[in-house]
Amino acid sequence: MRDYITEASGNIAVDDMILVKDMQATAGSHMLEGFVPLFSAEAVERLENKGYSIAGKANVGEFGLDLVGEFSYYGAAAEGENLCGGSAKLVKDGSVKAALGVDLNGAPRRSAALSGVAFMKPTYGTVSRYGVIPCACSGEQIGVYAPNMKAMQEVLSVIAGHDAKDGTSLMHETYDYDTDLEISGVKVAIIKEMLEAASEDSRAKVLAYAENLKKKGVVVEEVSFELARAAQSAWQILMAAETCNNLSRYDGVKFGYRTPNYENIDELYVGSRTEGFNLLTKQTILYGSDVLSKNRYKVCYDKSLKVRRVVADAMKAMLSSYDAVLTPVCSEMQYTAYDISDAFKNVFKESFFTAIPNLIGIPALSVGGVQLMGNHFDESLLMSLAKSVEGMGA
Amino acid sequence: MTAKELEGLMQLNELSLSDKEGADMLSLFEDMKKSEDVLTAIDTENVEVMVHVMPMTNVFREDARKQNFSRESLLAGAPEHTEDSWQVPRLVK
Amino acid sequence: MKYEVTIGLETHVELDTASKIFCACGGHSSPKEPNDCVCPACSGMPGMLPVMNKRVVEKAVTAGLMLNCEINRYATFDKKNYYYPDLPCAYQITQLFHPICVNGKVEVTTKDGVSMIGIKQIHMEEDAGKLVHDEWTDTSLVDFNRTSVPLIEIVTHPDFHSAEEVLSYLEMLKSMFRFGKISECEEGAMRCDVNISVRPEGQTELGVRTEIKNMSSFTSIERAIKYETARHIDALERQTEVLVQETRRWDDTKGRTFAMRNKETEADYRYFPDPNLMPIVIDDAWLDEIKSAMPKKPEVKAAEYAEMGISEKEIEVLTGERNLCDLLDGVVALGASVKDAVAWILTECAGVLRKNGQVLSDLQITPEKLAKIIAMVADGKINRGAGKKVLTAVIEKDVDPEEFARENSLDANTDESAVAAVVDKVLAADPKSVEDYKNGKTKVFQALFGACMRELRGTADPMVIKKLLEEKLK
Repeated sequence: MRDYITEASGNIAVDDMILVKDMQATAGSHMLEGFVPLFSAEAVERLENKGYSIAGKANVGEFGLDLVGEFSYYGAAAEGENLCGGSAKLVKDGSVKAALGVDLNGAPRRSAALSGVAFMKPTYGTVSRYGVIPCACSGEQIGVYAPNMKAMQEVLSVIAGHDAKDGTSLMHETYDYDTDLEISGVKVAIIKEMLEAASEDSRAKVLAYAENLKKKGVVVEEVSFELARAAQSAWQILMAAETCNNLSRYDGVKFGYRTPNYENIDELYVGSRTEGFNLLTKQTILYGSDVLSKNRYKVCYDKSLKVRRVVADAMKAMLSSYDAVLTPVCSEMQYTAYDISDAFKNVFKESFFTAIPNLIGIPALSVGGVQLMGNHFDESLLMSLAKSVEGMGA
Repeated sequence: MTAKELEGLMQLNELSLSDKEGADMLSLFEDMKKSEDVLTAIDTENVEVMVHVMPMTNVFREDARKQNFSRESLLAGAPEHTEDSWQVPRLVK
Repeated sequence: MKYEVTIGLETHVELDTASKIFCACGGHSSPKEPNDCVCPACSGMPGMLPVMNKRVVEKAVTAGLMLNCEINRYATFDKKNYYYPDLPCAYQITQLFHPICVNGKVEVTTKDGVSMIGIKQIHMEEDAGKLVHDEWTDTSLVDFNRTSVPLIEIVTHPDFHSAEEVLSYLEMLKSMFRFGKISECEEGAMRCDVNISVRPEGQTELGVRTEIKNMSSFTSIERAIKYETARHIDALERQTEVLVQETRRWDDTKGRTFAMRNKETEADYRYFPDPNLMPIVIDDAWLDEIKSAMPKKPEVKAAEYAEMGISEKEIEVLTGERNLCDLLDGVVALGASVKDAVAWILTECAGVLRKNGQVLSDLQITPEKLAKIIAMVADGKINRGAGKKVLTAVIEKDVDPEEFARENSLDANTDESAVAAVVDKVLAADPKSVEDYKNGKTKVFQALFGACMRELRGTADPMVIKKLLEEKLK
């Protein structure tokens, strides 16, 4: 067991998926127990250079693969119906001003929604991934947990910008984020399929949020986006395969956990990985490995890479008629404890609401228990929409 | 997926599941088929793969040598190591 | 019955770069001790991302051009998955879907004639680390210095039909890559996988193919091909065993190949495109830049030199080392005559190196310095003997030629009157020899000449001394 921050000793918390020099980094996994990184993530460095201080590491579910951090080796971030650890809770309690998290399959957006704070997954490539414990490199991004849009804008402005140490980092040196864009007349689409898939309380959240936006002069319409299911399936395949590949480095040889019971290299590998990973991680690895196998590559992985383009084009078309998209972010507004043997299914089910931004790199803001998505680089519009209804209740 | 294929998949990924977990995994693969069918239904004829969502080309670094980390610090976290190397059980020569 | 052997080759060559392919650790010639050129990225720790070394692309394209390949204007990287302790991430970044060069061809000459070998493709990839067996602890030690050192892999079509052709091809690759500054191809920097099959002559379909992996010495490659060919023929002719398609290794001590265990051969590498590395696009401007920086092929260079009047023997030595060609071209460009330049490089430089137990490939001198020495001698500022002294100092200590000549008073005494004064002095000091000479004992001339040279400490032109001595002794 390890200690996570409970009281503020700095003003920024950092998810344990992100490296801070000399602070143990575990990604919530037994596999990385005792791993102390030799350098800090670019986002962390940028914050420190601007005078922010790192309060410490916040607990995450193993490799960020679960719903809201419920399956960490170091004590769940969720128990029963309570979210009792992790960045979202620290921000909610006011222990820190904001927190950094890695969004690879929606967990930060969900935990923010259930904790009553905001999380922004920005446009892919705006925040350097240097120093992120990698899983699904083609779609994961560092994002910000914040109590309000002012803090969101402030922290996001610091961490965004080109970094030569990340070959996918976009060339913009800085980003000017604005939370006060004119939103009257802005058109927002609600994705009908997602609204229908959500339970009553989550749907009510979205509709109430839409009502508040309308009061500010925003036009809200329900629209069909038929590719939502395909986006979910495609991201599941890409995410699992890339995660499988990235987690293959954890083998008990170089750092972290090594099984005490081995006679030869195979026993060392199998023992370390079997004992070091939880069931959800193992299932993700096996599924991700299978979709890459010779006889499945064409119909699974290659197909998903093509569907990604189809979804990106369709979303681009939608966002030429509308300025932003509003959807539920979770199927239910209440977390309920469950057994890890159901985790893979449950997370896949919930990813219906969160997969599109990971799949095609658009920004997504989890705020007020709902999700706003926009075109690439439209973070300012999303924050302005959210800010206009801040404090209006839902 | 058969139990035997799952066995091979586990071997390939250097991990194992208990019998119960293995049975669950097999039904999981069965469940995921439905979601894969959703993909099959989409026409991707003449669609190029999209590996990078924000396309760029020719991202390079210059060929310059820098040694930023000491061997000692890199080996410090190793489960087993000598003065200068990581250490594993003997491999067939 | 007569048999035909068919061979295809995969050759891995470590590129000479200052840094590794995806991180800034020192390249293949940097390490002094195990794991002294390693960082979190190339030891498999999480958090660092691969960023492509531009020089690797340029060297791979250069190799492709030298092997008459088409250069793919769009190249990408893929990940290949397998577990082994020398592969720290358990994946290797390589090129499967869009390699950098394709469809090349190259002529190979043996005593039996010339054959054309097709190059299927050249791709870029990272090398794996090394495992060393530790006798004391009976464990394996892992060294990641070689991990992520840039490689190109050159894949041929199955166009070889003898070990001689294979060796000739490998020798040619080696000299080509050294000449092109792609790789020095030292021991171990060039490694081969050999695909081999044997069929009765006249049969259309190929026989069962086996692959012998990871050989680096040319002698082993030759022996392995010969052993494997004989094994296949035995199996076909006398049914000594049933041939199966498999991967084998060469045991140099026992002089035979043996099958690798199944697990290594039946791998599904689950390749997929690497999301962390952006595509490489080679436009005309960049390709032209690479082409213009390319050294001319040895045979082109040889024709050029022949036209300049250099002898065949000299050309052979010069074109054997790219550095010598560069030096010669540089020296000539700086104004030296071709004859002087060739003589100074092949005779004088070689002489200095020989004394130090070195050969011409060890030569380290800039064209500027050598051209300066040649000019000083040609202009009579120093004599040839002094020139050799300067050359020795430049090669051994990299001094400035003019400064060295001045500081060591090697400047030639071109002032005839000063030389005449010395000659007068020598003659005055030795009236007996003068007398002898005048009486017909002409062999004392050498002694007088030597005395003058000593007096002038070798700074004067010997021809001038000789002329003055002859005049004054008349």
